[in-house]
Amino acid sequence: MKEALAEVQRISAHPDSRCWFVSWSPNGALLASCGGDKAIRIWGREGDLWVCKTVLQDGHQRTVRKVAWSPCGNYLASASFDATTCIWKKKNDDFESLTVLEGHENEVKCVAWAPSGNLLATCSRDKSVWVWEVDEDEEYECVTVLNSHTQDVKHVAWHPTKELLASASYDNNICIYKEDDDDWECQATLQGHTSTVWSLCFDAAGERMASCSDDRTVKIWKEYPSDSGQGVFLVDSDLSWKCVCTLSGYHGRTVYDVAWCQLTGALATASGDDAVRVFKEDVTASPDEPVFSLVAQVTRAHNQDVNCVSWNPKEAGLLASCSDNGEIAIWRFKEED
Amino acid sequence: MASHFSGVLQLTDLDDFITPSQECVKPVKVVKKQGKSVAKIQIEDDGSYVQVNQDGGKQKLERAKITLNDCLACSGCITSAESVLITQQSHEELLKVLQNNKTKETEQKVVVVSVSPQSRASLAAHYKLSSSEAGRRLTSFLKGLGVHHVFDTSFSRTFSLLESQREFLERFSRKEQDSKALPMLTSACPGWICYAEKTHGEYILPYISTTRSPQQMMGSLVKGYFAEQQGLSPQQIYHVAVMPCFDKKLEASRSDFYLEEAETREVDCVITSGEVQKMMEEQNVCLSDVEPAALDTMFSSVCEDEFLSHSGSGSGGYLHHVFTNAAKQLFGEEVKELTYKTLRNKDFQEVRLEKDGAVLLCFASTYGFRNIQNLVQKLKRGKSPYHFVEVMACPSGCLNGGGQIKPSSNQNQKDFLHQVEELYKAERPLLPENDTKVAELYKTWLHTLGEERAKELLHTKYHTVEKMTNGLTIKW
Amino acid sequence: MSAGVQLENANPVIFQRSGERLPTASEEDGDVHDPIDDREIFDLIRSINDPEHPLSLEELNVVEQVRVQVNDPESTVSVEFTPTIPHCSMATLIGLSIKVKLLRSLPDRFKIDVHITPGTHASEEAVNKQLGDKERVAAALENSSLLEVVNQCLSSRTI
Repeated sequence: MKEALAEVQRISAHPDSRCWFVSWSPNGALLASCGGDKAIRIWGREGDLWVCKTVLQDGHQRTVRKVAWSPCGNYLASASFDATTCIWKKKNDDFESLTVLEGHENEVKCVAWAPSGNLLATCSRDKSVWVWEVDEDEEYECVTVLNSHTQDVKHVAWHPTKELLASASYDNNICIYKEDDDDWECQATLQGHTSTVWSLCFDAAGERMASCSDDRTVKIWKEYPSDSGQGVFLVDSDLSWKCVCTLSGYHGRTVYDVAWCQLTGALATASGDDAVRVFKEDVTASPDEPVFSLVAQVTRAHNQDVNCVSWNPKEAGLLASCSDNGEIAIWRFKEED
Repeated sequence: MASHFSGVLQLTDLDDFITPSQECVKPVKVVKKQGKSVAKIQIEDDGSYVQVNQDGGKQKLERAKITLNDCLACSGCITSAESVLITQQSHEELLKVLQNNKTKETEQKVVVVSVSPQSRASLAAHYKLSSSEAGRRLTSFLKGLGVHHVFDTSFSRTFSLLESQREFLERFSRKEQDSKALPMLTSACPGWICYAEKTHGEYILPYISTTRSPQQMMGSLVKGYFAEQQGLSPQQIYHVAVMPCFDKKLEASRSDFYLEEAETREVDCVITSGEVQKMMEEQNVCLSDVEPAALDTMFSSVCEDEFLSHSGSGSGGYLHHVFTNAAKQLFGEEVKELTYKTLRNKDFQEVRLEKDGAVLLCFASTYGFRNIQNLVQKLKRGKSPYHFVEVMACPSGCLNGGGQIKPSSNQNQKDFLHQVEELYKAERPLLPENDTKVAELYKTWLHTLGEERAKELLHTKYHTVEKMTNGLTIKW
Repeated sequence: MSAGVQLENANPVIFQRSGERLPTASEEDGDVHDPIDDREIFDLIRSINDPEHPLSLEELNVVEQVRVQVNDPESTVSVEFTPTIPHCSMATLIGLSIKVKLLRSLPDRFKIDVHITPGTHASEEAVNKQLGDKERVAAALENSSLLEVVNQCLSSRTI
């Protein structure tokens, strides 16, 4: 296999700390990172390089675990071990803290905006997933508290077009929720991973979902209408998800993150074995039995665990990764054909 | 293990599905006996621990027991693990007491069961009876088992409603001087109280009404007035409450409701509507086949053989009664019908009294954890527009309590709940102030006890639970 | 542990400490690459204090050199520890102390796995999973009360 991931830049983003997560703004112009130093940093391009534009400090008392941009790009939400979620509003080149969402009992592990921008989901070690609604006055109210997991909830992700929410947990399961007559309900529980599910993401069309786990695998789940007889994991709902592919044997340790490029369909993973890998789908395979093959990997992408990978939403092939050593790396994925 | 607690308690560290034997970290006090030298501890074949002294003497060691009360006072883990509840508050306990009455000469107890109207409605829906019919047959069933008196907590709820009305007027009068006088938050829901004490402590507790819940009002009546009337000590009465809710077991176990002198709880045991149904199934009894019995009228709201209830919500009608009373007393307005405006969802409603465009009273009901959250956050940010809030932990309130009978497999959950609501509302409402028996008790009993004692019997206190900071026991 | 609190295992069996190790000639030579070996890892963890007893993990036989495995070229360290009793509620805390000691002492390149010796604890799987979750470990170490206890376990004894 030819080296298809070229390093563009390496930044010591959160020195002497962990960099837990990176996230591209919707227009791809900015990258937000967060880490164990309780800070959020915003990176922008100057010439060929990415440089720090601003640092958001004093928002959190403990590690900032994840950050998320609103679909309009004007707000940033940050989830912290201090049990709160901060909402930041972009003002010119700076950000001001707009509000703090309280309610979780302990560490907030993830935050995600729905495609409409009116709903926000958070999850926590307190085992719950919360959905918040934003009104015209920028006030946030809790719409639901979902207790479908029996353990720490690690990640939440919204469907790209529908108001459908997925969560991944330490209880090895994935839950799918949607609104049903006045309240939200867990519509499906996806079982299959044999250890903590660390992250998940949808493909561009929202028909499939990729999840990654401490069991060192990545699983691809496909949505089927429940009357097709293909879905096996749930009853009493109008659609179901079935695992159609498992990528095993590639990762030497926990897979902490998985990212599906909305532009190219490439699937990137971040692993505790220090590597960044990219998988591509074999277009000739049946959609019910997709085949993914490893097309690029950097085995020592960072010299510690890789925590996160993120595809730039506008520039195809531009990938950011971050690591326990506080670094961010920017990569360019070139397909070789 | 599936939890039966309300959603609120499932969220907090209260409910971690841990059984105390293995993971409870509540430090056990060891009473060291003086002057003893080294001894060996031996495990017997039956698993009991025996201390072998140097002189060869053996002594069986006591097992460390974690009581419900320990769980309530501890923020360390949990729960109220269900195993604790099961050993201390279950229908088996009631049966044990009844059995003891039949077989032993000593420790005879007068057994009193107080049934909530929500449980009656649940049983009525399950057995396809009217609520009063279900009450009459349940009385018959319980008396057949050896229960001496069957009372109705609608009766004690009249006290709760009257006291809530008074408390509100008193709080309203000092709202200018005391920023925590309003909104007054209801206190009848033990899941909500437990959550407030464990997670919001000093911030929220001053807002919570000190008025006792119907269950604990009945506790005062039964172990106070009734015991006195019957010439019994409170300990000679075994008082059981039948409730729509598991959290009520926690409420009965609160130290505030323990009578120190008499060494007994005001409510000894709480069993849920579902447990009553289970009890009947175990005895192969179908409620619809039981001959109805006459009702105990001493502590029951009845008119001939029909039960009487209260207007307003299925969770006790606190908002309704406090609102109408306040409108009349404070603004001279007779409110015949309340207009509930649904806000964010059906479990968050608002009622206002307006005059000439000005809002005189703004009341709300918030049910379920999501709405409780928004209420708490609004209070914290000083953005609550309310004077009074009826707060319940369960979505749809008490009629949908976790202890209610589950719909059978061919029944739709929502339809079944609707039936329970209809059956509950079918009981004719009685205005609390028109209850002559209650008025009589205020005059003859409470008045003679003096203001302070009366307050103790009708009100209660709340306590902030400190967060655990012992590094050895922190869950991470 | 605070006064008036019962020890879970009040009378543990105490084991002999191993002798101090003398550095070899090549170890003292700064020019020679000196791979980290089992004994060095064991030396790091054997003096960790038990949270409950005034004894070291070595004296309680919670850690043993044979249960330490180092692969220097692969940058991996695996340690198994044996709780004194199968229901020991301190097991996660002991494991956390071992993990923290190694995280603080070893070069960043090492992947450190701390497990319970198979078959020696009632909640073995749950404890292992928790110790293996770096996010939980990171959050735990931001809790000052918990960190204080861990630091006590790692401090040199002052008796």
